[in-house]
Amino acid sequence: MRAVPWPPGLPAALAPPAPAPSVYAGTANVIAVLILLAEFAMFRQALLRGQVRLYAGQSVLLAALAVLVGADRGLPELYVLAGVTIALKAVAIPLVLRRLLRDTEPDDPMSAGHDIAGSGGLSLASTVLIGIAVAAFGFFAAVALPVRGGGAPVTALSVSLSVVLVAIVAMIHRRDVASQAIGLFSLENGISLAALVVAASLPLIVEVALLVDLLLAVVVFGLLIRLHHGRAESLSTTGLTSLRG
Amino acid sequence: MLPLPVIQVLQVLTIAGAAPGVSGVIARAEARLQGRRGPRVLQPYYDLAKLFRKEALAPEGASWVFLAAPVGAFTCYLTVPLLIPVLTAFPLPLGYMGDILGGGFILSLAGFLVAVAALSTGSPYAQLGASRAKTFAAITEPVVLFVVFTVALLTATDLPYALAATVRSSAGQIIRPAHVLAAAALFMVILHETGRIPVETHSGTNEFGMIEEARPFEHSGPYYALLKWGSAAKQLILYTILLNVFIAPWGLAATGAPVAVLIAMVALPAKACALGCVVAVIDDSFAKLRLFKITEFAAAAFLLAVLGVLTVYLGGG
Repeated sequence: MRAVPWPPGLPAALAPPAPAPSVYAGTANVIAVLILLAEFAMFRQALLRGQVRLYAGQSVLLAALAVLVGADRGLPELYVLAGVTIALKAVAIPLVLRRLLRDTEPDDPMSAGHDIAGSGGLSLASTVLIGIAVAAFGFFAAVALPVRGGGAPVTALSVSLSVVLVAIVAMIHRRDVASQAIGLFSLENGISLAALVVAASLPLIVEVALLVDLLLAVVVFGLLIRLHHGRAESLSTTGLTSLRG
Repeated sequence: MLPLPVIQVLQVLTIAGAAPGVSGVIARAEARLQGRRGPRVLQPYYDLAKLFRKEALAPEGASWVFLAAPVGAFTCYLTVPLLIPVLTAFPLPLGYMGDILGGGFILSLAGFLVAVAALSTGSPYAQLGASRAKTFAAITEPVVLFVVFTVALLTATDLPYALAATVRSSAGQIIRPAHVLAAAALFMVILHETGRIPVETHSGTNEFGMIEEARPFEHSGPYYALLKWGSAAKQLILYTILLNVFIAPWGLAATGAPVAVLIAMVALPAKACALGCVVAVIDDSFAKLRLFKITEFAAAAFLLAVLGVLTVYLGGG
């Protein structure tokens, strides 16, 4: 690409443009931001099937980031991590979730795929505004942290904090058990993203242990979803408020 | 070397001359994607020529604003190309009259004039369109502001020429999240401002969903032609800002040499047609949002713009 100098004729008092991050840092940050945007997209998703698909997509993005960091920093174990992430989060967990959801699927063919469009507590625009506020808090909080990462660029750390916080908003906002479970799993994606920034060379065994933990959470949530569905005949948690004294 | 004022006039002529053609290409591409043959690419020019020959009528009781507004709005649309990089990579003498916000003000002044004219007609559809257009303009305004903030943080100024030069300076400036997010948010605003799916059907006659398109319902003859030409020019101006400032500031004349300017005059409509084909694909692959869902579209654009500011302000991304 031909480098074009600062155009002549601009007032001399103008500062030069902000320094550009390297292409690696820019790409890594864009992937991190896409992970955050996938989290926001969960607010809007109207079908549980779509929600699961979003989670799988988000996990693939995370694996792509791991490959990128591994390639740039020369950490081959990150390739293994990316492989395990895809196998587990983008294939196995969505499969398990889909099977669970099929069992709880209502007989009504019109509601195939579980319509959860109305399960949000607030209007979509308000939820997104709350999400933006929470994400901004994550950004401000990350700047205060004395982390100067060795792996992915530091902006990705701010993004990962935002992913965690926005996932919590998504869990609070939705009133069906399955979306809440997926919210929790995607929260774990945020934590993995933070791990990539802070300690890219985290021993593989620790990371794999974390992933197995996640598998355990899936099993527990699966039981919870089935139990709740067996008792309440629905995935919605609105009926639970009647337990109040 | 062409004198600078001549290039400046050529900028205006390029926008005014190519705008109906770009609209024609988009309409054609959209029709082809739907399996129709579609209108000729030059059809908008024929339409304009026909309208200019027709008689103009005004509703009874409409004030002078009704007839003055199309002329005023068209003047506004032809003023903006003086401020933005249409043909040259270097600023022209009048390029410093206004920054991005200045250009935005002139565009909204044009929208305001059309809205006032629609109000003075007393026709319910024109008034409905004007009122909706102003309502939704108010909720996309913050998005534009945050995009400008991003530009200001990246370049320490908000002159469009400065951002274009920054984008050209290195690959890192293109891939950084702030730039990607700001460009995406601006693209969504442009879809909204030019009345495209998912906000509005561009060429339909469904009055209930109409926003921008309903405003000139009562105009006729040359005045209607000016409004149509004006909205095509507005579309090309917005495309030019997105292309020549944000995503593809290449193909611009680096000097005032006639050949370079000529290349730029061809390159801009070509780039705009390519962008128009993307818009046509979007037009054909999404459904129109219900009127009350447009806030969700605006919220998504706002999200992108705010994240753009956050990543660059708190992390240099």
